[in-house]
Amino acid sequence: MWIERKVLTQEVPVVAGLDTRQLCELLASLGFPVDSVTAREGTEALDVDITANRGDAMSHRGLAREVASKLGQSLEPIAVPALQEGAPAVEVRLESPACPVYSTAVMELGTGATPQEAQSFLLALESTPKRLPAVDASNELLHRYGHPTHAFDADRIRGGVSIRWAKDGERLVTLDGVTRTMTGQDLVIADEAGPIALAGVMGGDGTKVTETTRRVLLESAWFDPKTVRATARRHSLHTDASHRFGRGADPAMAPVARDLLVGRLQAWCGAKLVSAWTVGTIPVVSISVVLMESLLTRVAGEPLSLPDAAEALKRLGCTVEVKRDRLRVMPPSWRHDLTIPEDLAEEVLRLRGYEHIPSVLPPLEGPPQPLSQDYLKRQSLARRLAHLGFHQTVTYGFVSPEMDQQTPGPLGQQAFDIPEGRILANPLGLDYSVLRRSLVPSLVEVAKRNLKQGQREVRLFEIAPTFRGLPERPVESWTVALVWAGESWDADPESRAILVKAKHLHGILKDVLRPGTPQNVHPVEDDTILTAEFLLDAVPPPDERIIPAYTPQSRFPAVERDLSVTVPTDLAWQAMHRAVQDALNRTALTDLICADLYRGKSLPAGTKAWLLRLTFQAMDRTLLGEEVDGWVAAALAAAESLGASLRA
Amino acid sequence: MSGNDQDLLAGLEAMADATLRKRLELMLAARGAFDQELTACETLDDCQRLKGKYVGRDGSLASEAMPAMRGIPVAHKQTLGAEINSIKKTWEEKIKARQIELEAARKKHTSLTDQWDPTLTPPVPARGALHPLNRLMDRLVEVFRPLGFHVEEGPEVETEAHNFDGLNIPEDHSARASSDTFYLAAHPELLLRTHTSPVQVSTLRRVAHDLAARGGIRFLAPGRVYRKDEIDPTHSPMFHQVEGMLVGHGIGMQHLKGTLEYALRALFGPHTEIRLRPSYFPFVEPGCEVDVSCPLCAAKGCRVCKGSGWVEILGAGLIHPNVLKYAGIDPGEWSGWAFGMGVERMAMMLSQTPDLRLFFENDQRFLKAMGGLD
Repeated sequence: MWIERKVLTQEVPVVAGLDTRQLCELLASLGFPVDSVTAREGTEALDVDITANRGDAMSHRGLAREVASKLGQSLEPIAVPALQEGAPAVEVRLESPACPVYSTAVMELGTGATPQEAQSFLLALESTPKRLPAVDASNELLHRYGHPTHAFDADRIRGGVSIRWAKDGERLVTLDGVTRTMTGQDLVIADEAGPIALAGVMGGDGTKVTETTRRVLLESAWFDPKTVRATARRHSLHTDASHRFGRGADPAMAPVARDLLVGRLQAWCGAKLVSAWTVGTIPVVSISVVLMESLLTRVAGEPLSLPDAAEALKRLGCTVEVKRDRLRVMPPSWRHDLTIPEDLAEEVLRLRGYEHIPSVLPPLEGPPQPLSQDYLKRQSLARRLAHLGFHQTVTYGFVSPEMDQQTPGPLGQQAFDIPEGRILANPLGLDYSVLRRSLVPSLVEVAKRNLKQGQREVRLFEIAPTFRGLPERPVESWTVALVWAGESWDADPESRAILVKAKHLHGILKDVLRPGTPQNVHPVEDDTILTAEFLLDAVPPPDERIIPAYTPQSRFPAVERDLSVTVPTDLAWQAMHRAVQDALNRTALTDLICADLYRGKSLPAGTKAWLLRLTFQAMDRTLLGEEVDGWVAAALAAAESLGASLRA
Repeated sequence: MSGNDQDLLAGLEAMADATLRKRLELMLAARGAFDQELTACETLDDCQRLKGKYVGRDGSLASEAMPAMRGIPVAHKQTLGAEINSIKKTWEEKIKARQIELEAARKKHTSLTDQWDPTLTPPVPARGALHPLNRLMDRLVEVFRPLGFHVEEGPEVETEAHNFDGLNIPEDHSARASSDTFYLAAHPELLLRTHTSPVQVSTLRRVAHDLAARGGIRFLAPGRVYRKDEIDPTHSPMFHQVEGMLVGHGIGMQHLKGTLEYALRALFGPHTEIRLRPSYFPFVEPGCEVDVSCPLCAAKGCRVCKGSGWVEILGAGLIHPNVLKYAGIDPGEWSGWAFGMGVERMAMMLSQTPDLRLFFENDQRFLKAMGGLD
């Protein structure tokens, strides 16, 4: 909201003594930070942030009240022209509790224009003067005192005026030229022919004031904030008026703003008052609140004197009764945000300055809790993967329907999932419309972009929830995905780059997954990008014991024997491993690996060559050559049973 | 001429075959030249040539001389024959020694010149990185751990009740509108959480029954949140927050200030100052925004703090009694504070990253440079 410094200074003269920075700091310390300061119309315009609870501060008078309270100044009362209410010139009926009071007047306009000063004021606030005194005066009053008013062309109103709920489907062309179709929840000002304004939001085009307008009907009412907010949202029509009524205007200002508007039109263009009157009664919207001394002390962090607190609240316009251990407070009609004791405590602290709040560490009242296993697991997994050369990525939790179909997710195709249960009702676009069941498509997309940008090797991982649609609601499971693509190379000019293959990713999975977990490595994009995805559950939890139980290691020499065999091409190592281990399960075999794999033309067709490396070691003695020879023979026999033959 | 040489001469003269005698004479005469040539040997190849000339199997002085020994009369075998043998043996030994010497020199030379060039890149193990946003969140957890805070988490798909109702957010608050919040098509009451604050609601509800036994609760809730913002340099429909909450007896603004002062100093350095300014959030009362003295210019004034010396870092306040009530906690007995911090905002400020989208594009070079790994 724009605030013009000259007018603020008129309200609070001591502001003249503050430089811009001091003024900004002062406003910020009160909870109204200044976003920017611009020189305009020979003065400074401040763009002030007003929080949603402070409709009362959305004017020069409102902020002046705050500044004056903080600086211990008192404001001059608003100069309201003396005005005698009379008989209604038009029938005005209040037909909804959403408008409890409606102050109005009928005036005959004279000649004369909006004064230069008022025009400059509006220009400084980025508001364009219409050079129609009735419109400009209403606008000026809104910015000056925060109470929205409206002027209708009285000669275009047919019959009496009622403030009522719109009928479903009723139409109104608003001042912006847009035809609005209303519902039964929209409050309207209507004449006998239909709606002439959206109450508290915007006037109608048909009854607007123009150069030819001779008589005006003025409106200065109070509308229920919720109703105004709902209508503004329903019609996406957020106006200066709807902001103020929506946040809660001061109902006591209804007749006052009317009087001010009448006074301005009399002064600016010699308008003549036909009649002024008020329908309904000013509602009491503030409620009495008790502030206990103990609560104030707790919130403030130190004992504050009740009389001082009362003084601060009075400066803000509250009526305060000081009791022994409490204050009974009636907030002013413009502060409906003060409803609980904490609100009052905040006001006391705010005027005192948050800088006076002491700084104290809260004492522990119980033992601290450990970090959850799940959280620790993710932390250590992320570090492990990063140390293995992978880069943690963060991608959006929603994808396009096409991307969603690309991979089945960590549970595979068989997982129960209702994709419709994962669709957003109001996505940013189709590309962001489905809560993803798999992290892989997002990572593949990132990998492709990186490769295109010249990365020779891309290693990525993400740890994030994936979603599955279930009948009641989508479930989320912490999921880990890895993507590896390109050439792996250790930067040593003497070693060669290798094309990343599935086995490399399997190696990573073997390192991080619980033993025996199926490793779902899937190559995509013509096998150039390798992917893997698994639930976090597949990662073993950190060991419960700080140090695992002791396992003894042999102190005797190990004996290593190699067996070079040819085997059928389709024989899996696992079969060989199991067969040899089974054959030697009562021996001192401690390790069996395939030390070398050879496929070549020199081998008989349909065979490959394995170098089996057997390691023997006993816990209790040095092994004898003969017994090892026997075991190796047994190993060979086992291998031969699978079709292996000893290489020459 | 020594007596030994006279014996040798006598032996030579006694030889009948002049050709054979000549061979032995050549060998004896070459003794001096050999030593000179040996000294001149600079390489193993030189040695090899020398070896060929003097002791090689074919055509060397020694190989010529050996068969000539047959012509030495028996009386002179002891002297002349032994001498010839001795010369050959000496030559062989000397060559061998020289070869070893040269070999050692060559090895030494080779190891010096073939030494790895330290200006070349050595083989380095692959090294990845944590994402900068995760790193920052981890750091925050680390900072709060010593104060007894643990981590609480919640789902990204939340109920309207947890995301709004339980946080004292009015039923007609604009944040609930479908223009601000993502809702699920098949479940109109479900949404993507718009902040980490619903973790407050679920956690407080869970611990309400044994809050006294626990001695209150204090936790951080880091996580991903969603708002319906178009993607641009300062907006993203998904971003991260860290929520902090503490519930205990007699908790006031002083405890909020004390904790944040500690934490933000741990984060930004011991000379960091903090400033609380009044503000408004429906789930706290009193509410405030917290500024830190600009960590980039030591509060002297720079582009990041727009010359003010202060940077806004988080929103906070004392938990609104309605939030405690909703969770089943008596606000007459318990009180607490809460804060919420935008992770991207802080990361951008600290790193001066100009565009929020960079954090979600995951350019590996960006991740390596910004994320790192400790």
